[in-house]
Amino acid sequence: MIQPAPLLLVVEDDPQFRQLLNTTLEAQDYSVFATANGRDGLIAARNRQPSLLILDLGLPDMDGQDVIRRLRKWSDMPIIVLSARNQENDITQALDNGADDYLIKPFNAAELVSRIKALLRRIARMPGGSQEFLHVGELKIELTKRRVFVGVEEIHLTPIEFRLLCVLARNAGLVVTHRQLLEKVWGPSFVEHSHYLRIYMGQLRHKIEADPARPRYLLTEAGIGYRLCDEVF
Amino acid sequence: MMSQDSKSNGNCTGVSRARYGYWPWFWGVVVPLILTLLDWLFRQWLTSSNILMFDLLGVFFVAIRFGFWPSILASLINAASFAFFFAPPIFSFAIADRENLAGLAVTILVGAVTSKLAQTIRFQKREAEQREHRASALYRLSKELAEAQLESEIVEIGVRHVYSEFGSRNTLLFPDHNGLIGYPGEPPLEISLQGADLDRAQSAFQKGQITGYGTDPVANVTALYVPLNGSTGPLGVLALEAVDLPQISAPEQRQLLDTFLNQIVHTLERARLAEQAQDATLKIEAETLRNSLLSSISHDLRTPLATIVTAATTLEADGERLDDAHRKKLVAAISEEAQRMSDLTTKILAMARLEAGEVVLNRQWYAPEEIIGSALRRLDKRLKGRSINLNMKDGQALIYVDAVLLQQVLVNLLDNADKYSPAGLPIDIELQTTPLGLFISIVDRGAGVPDSMQQKIFNKFFRVHAETAQSGVGLGLSICRSIVEAHGGMIEMSNRDGGGAVFKLRLPIPEHAPTITPEERG
Repeated sequence: MIQPAPLLLVVEDDPQFRQLLNTTLEAQDYSVFATANGRDGLIAARNRQPSLLILDLGLPDMDGQDVIRRLRKWSDMPIIVLSARNQENDITQALDNGADDYLIKPFNAAELVSRIKALLRRIARMPGGSQEFLHVGELKIELTKRRVFVGVEEIHLTPIEFRLLCVLARNAGLVVTHRQLLEKVWGPSFVEHSHYLRIYMGQLRHKIEADPARPRYLLTEAGIGYRLCDEVF
Repeated sequence: MMSQDSKSNGNCTGVSRARYGYWPWFWGVVVPLILTLLDWLFRQWLTSSNILMFDLLGVFFVAIRFGFWPSILASLINAASFAFFFAPPIFSFAIADRENLAGLAVTILVGAVTSKLAQTIRFQKREAEQREHRASALYRLSKELAEAQLESEIVEIGVRHVYSEFGSRNTLLFPDHNGLIGYPGEPPLEISLQGADLDRAQSAFQKGQITGYGTDPVANVTALYVPLNGSTGPLGVLALEAVDLPQISAPEQRQLLDTFLNQIVHTLERARLAEQAQDATLKIEAETLRNSLLSSISHDLRTPLATIVTAATTLEADGERLDDAHRKKLVAAISEEAQRMSDLTTKILAMARLEAGEVVLNRQWYAPEEIIGSALRRLDKRLKGRSINLNMKDGQALIYVDAVLLQQVLVNLLDNADKYSPAGLPIDIELQTTPLGLFISIVDRGAGVPDSMQQKIFNKFFRVHAETAQSGVGLGLSICRSIVEAHGGMIEMSNRDGGGAVFKLRLPIPEHAPTITPEERG
């Protein structure tokens, strides 16, 4: 039953930081292949078939956004982007281009590891087709039966509220951008109507969260999107 | 009439003609004729000396009202009519009576003398009037100039007063940085002289002498170029259209023009000096700010760096010899201090970006509850063990803000509340919708801030206790203020009854918050 360690591809131009990621991730029993630029990264992604890509957005040879777009033409491999602060627009764009999650430098190594785990879990879930249910803390979502419980109490949601929760649940632990949520819940013509999202998210929180102003499950990533937390401490 | 008056220069007939045309001569004839008629009607009651006295009165009247020469004319007509109508033989210019002859001679003499006196009085009166007029014109000019601050205002006032005083279109021309006279950048006034000869203006400016009309042999020069001589050389040139030569070339008027220009020049010099002084002050302030920035940054970045470098080198050199507990302490120190440095650089960069005007608000509709929630989550670790009292009745009403920046404001305020109030005491967050906007208050139970410092705490690099263990450069609150003001709101600080600080920010609530159609239950 010994599974090979998942291979992670790291594309980061700063040698010191690349080395550090290598060390940190190998300490977590991942095998790591690191490249210093986008071109080598894309080649390695094709040749080595890594389980996950960790991509720095600021690269010397090409724009990180381009790397994501090119990769997404032929691969579903999960991508975590690394970015500096004050670049919410870049992050949102990267996520809308197909990246799965992001971290702002400097970040906590434990945070990176937990994001990697969440993404790899999601791939593991995927082959079985649609997921049956999600259990986080007190919150239990039965995706196929369209039922939601907090503790033992069933929560009644409107169809839109449920669709919203569903999209987040299917990406549990990962950030979903405003645009993606609007598109998936209301349809492509609603991507500019962000106030729909705010109002429904507020309603959903008031139904699910014990304290809607300090949510435990439905977390806000300011300027980027929402995340349904998949581990409640 | 006043401006016509002011240009007279003492020539009686010239003035009379200019003032009344031929009317003085007309009255010089008519007044004696009327008197003759009256005398004729009442001749049986009047003696010849009475008639001469009446005639003298008429001459005197003409002298006062219409000047010297008309009164002489009146006097001569009187003499002729007296001789013809009243002095026997009547209807003849001969005068038989010696007494009448002597009376007439005396009357003419007295008329001439009194006319001369009246004329002198008239001149003196007019001169006094002119002096008074000039003084008041000057006074009006100085009064307006005294209130002017900007160079453009001064120029406008100068042009307007020169126009109203001298009746000439004019303009003030100044050199550019190459010393070349050019038209000002502002659009011309209606009374500005346009099409001035810039070459002549340039030569007046360089020589510091009047050129143009009257000094130039070329016939078609229509304007006068007067240099504005300041204390350190010419400042510019007044170009004055020469519509009426005597008006400008009369000595009193030239003097007045010089005084006008002096006033304008002094005011310009004052304005320029004030501007220079202000520039210098700004430069000094910027310099002070830069120095305090550098000293703050070097202190606040070096302190954590020292810890990091020392801890890391210790681990590098003696890592194996240390026990686990010591190693962990060193590693924790590195991580904490690195985090502190990271926060600090983030703040410095944020301030720099806000200052540079690089920040464009990405405004969207948000529920304040959500932004407060995400701010609280960012501080989760720091606020552990502190109770946060939330009072958010209107937390769901949408506001139109940049969520990332507003979250930064709340994080900074909550971080301060945590830093400056004893551990374990609660922090209150209150939300209140009023007609004035949405108020968000963050209330702690610390020491508060002395009244005298409540304004200053929003200044860059200001810290209530400059040298304490509390980390920070004093940028957090100035970042808050910049962000809130960019949203059209305001932030203020007061002390809580019973101790503690209250930071209250007001955000405008737009009139047309979007709504959505309620969903059908399905």
